[in-house]
Amino acid sequence: MGISIPLVEKEFVAGFRQQKEWAGLIASAFFFGKVGSGLFIMSVFLPSRLGMLVGLLIVLVGKGGAHFLYLGRPWRFWRGMARPQSSWIARGIWAMGLMMVAGFAALSLPVGSSLYMPLTIFAVICAFVVAVYDGFLLTSSPAIPIWNTALMPVMCMFYSFLGGTTMVLFMTHMGFMELSEKFTAILPNLELGLLVANLLIVILFLIGSINTGSAGRESFDLLVKGPYAVPFFSLAIGVGLVFTLLMSIYAGPHASAGTVALITVADLIGHYFIFFLLLKVGVFKPVLGFLKI
Amino acid sequence: MRYGMVIDLKRCVGCQACTVACKSENGNGPGIMYTKVLDQVSGEYPNVRKNFVPVLCNHCKNAPCQRVCPTGATYKREDGLVLVDHDKCMGCRACYVACPYNNRIYLKRGKIKVGYYGKEMTPYEEVKYAEHQDGIVEKCKFCSHRIDEGLTETSCVQTCPADARIFGDLDDSESKVSRLIRSRGGRQPLCEDDTDPSIYYLD
Ligand code: SF4
Ligand code: SF4
Repeated sequence: MGISIPLVEKEFVAGFRQQKEWAGLIASAFFFGKVGSGLFIMSVFLPSRLGMLVGLLIVLVGKGGAHFLYLGRPWRFWRGMARPQSSWIARGIWAMGLMMVAGFAALSLPVGSSLYMPLTIFAVICAFVVAVYDGFLLTSSPAIPIWNTALMPVMCMFYSFLGGTTMVLFMTHMGFMELSEKFTAILPNLELGLLVANLLIVILFLIGSINTGSAGRESFDLLVKGPYAVPFFSLAIGVGLVFTLLMSIYAGPHASAGTVALITVADLIGHYFIFFLLLKVGVFKPVLGFLKI
Repeated sequence: MRYGMVIDLKRCVGCQACTVACKSENGNGPGIMYTKVLDQVSGEYPNVRKNFVPVLCNHCKNAPCQRVCPTGATYKREDGLVLVDHDKCMGCRACYVACPYNNRIYLKRGKIKVGYYGKEMTPYEEVKYAEHQDGIVEKCKFCSHRIDEGLTETSCVQTCPADARIFGDLDDSESKVSRLIRSRGGRQPLCEDDTDPSIYYLD
């Protein structure tokens, strides 16, 4: 006798089930983590101490705050460092903590001091881990097939670089940062390249998710045909990638401050929503889907 | 020693006696169920069949919930039980999204302050809810408190009127669970996830 397995809400019915616990605040933590660490990394290379400081603060206040608000027992957050040997959350907390210590210590030193470089390099490594660990965290969960793909960390890395580059462009056009001529020429092209790369990665991710089994297919359907299709295509893809790409091409390297602000807002909206929606469409497999009862 | 359970789907009548027994044993408030029986409808009208699938934590040998837990609150005992130390859990719910069986329950802040009759709790609720904490994740404990007292059956097994649940040592080849798995071909749920569950279903 055939079984058609539904996506269920009711407590006592077998079927695919959407995960309900990781949503807005976790998406915010992912968002701030990636934008802040991306900005920090970019600012180290430019270099811009203000950019480094803002990057650190975005991670500390934005990411740290969102996690703190999310935890059921926030004052036990320090316990989350106990098992870095197997838990990506523990690794992320360590990376975030060390990034803060090394980053703020580096900023407190003059640029030429002997410790400045080692501390900055260490902070950049930690920032890189902060940028990508959520991807590994999602990949390491076998329960939700659409997350369980090797593209997740790659996507996190590229979104982090894109967020960082966008923030640098924004801060430069608003007069908070000064770039050398070389970087003034490179950054708009880097932004364009990253937008195209992110668009390609999202497309590859979607194609890959069709083949992640029946629960992955359910997630895919929710994302592209179901209740999340409108925000996905309009905000995550339309505003976040296509609009920003077209605007960046149209405005070129000499865009006005207002245009850059618009591109920044659009990019950040897309960045938030892509991860928010990917969390929302996480679907568990039915426990006994295999049984021919 | 590895405790496990065999669930005979042919015997289960879907009465939810196990669900109620578990709630009463553990003093679980509204909406908190360590075990329950799911309805699975198959076939097409007029040839429709309803099957019952009892679910609970599988106390997996290779438990993803334990692997992802950053605090060490989720741990494994020598006898195979996967348990949560309520005092260590910070409520990050990584285990919730890592459990392929969706068998973990997050107790929202304030959840254990409301009983079945509202904010005014019965004496039973007052005593039993004090054993829980809100803001953390809980799940089936395979009645570890009963095992520690020397009892040989979990509350759901003892209550099941159809004898659909059998509890025992999977490492003992002569235990009833091992013999049933051998003779009837017990199947572990979602074994493709490499979790090696300690629950076997007979169909
Ligand atoms: S069933 Fe879920 S909660 Fe239970 S041990 Fe396995 S992974 Fe952990
Ligand atoms: S919610 Fe508690 S038991 Fe679950 S992973 Fe987080 S700390 Fe561990």
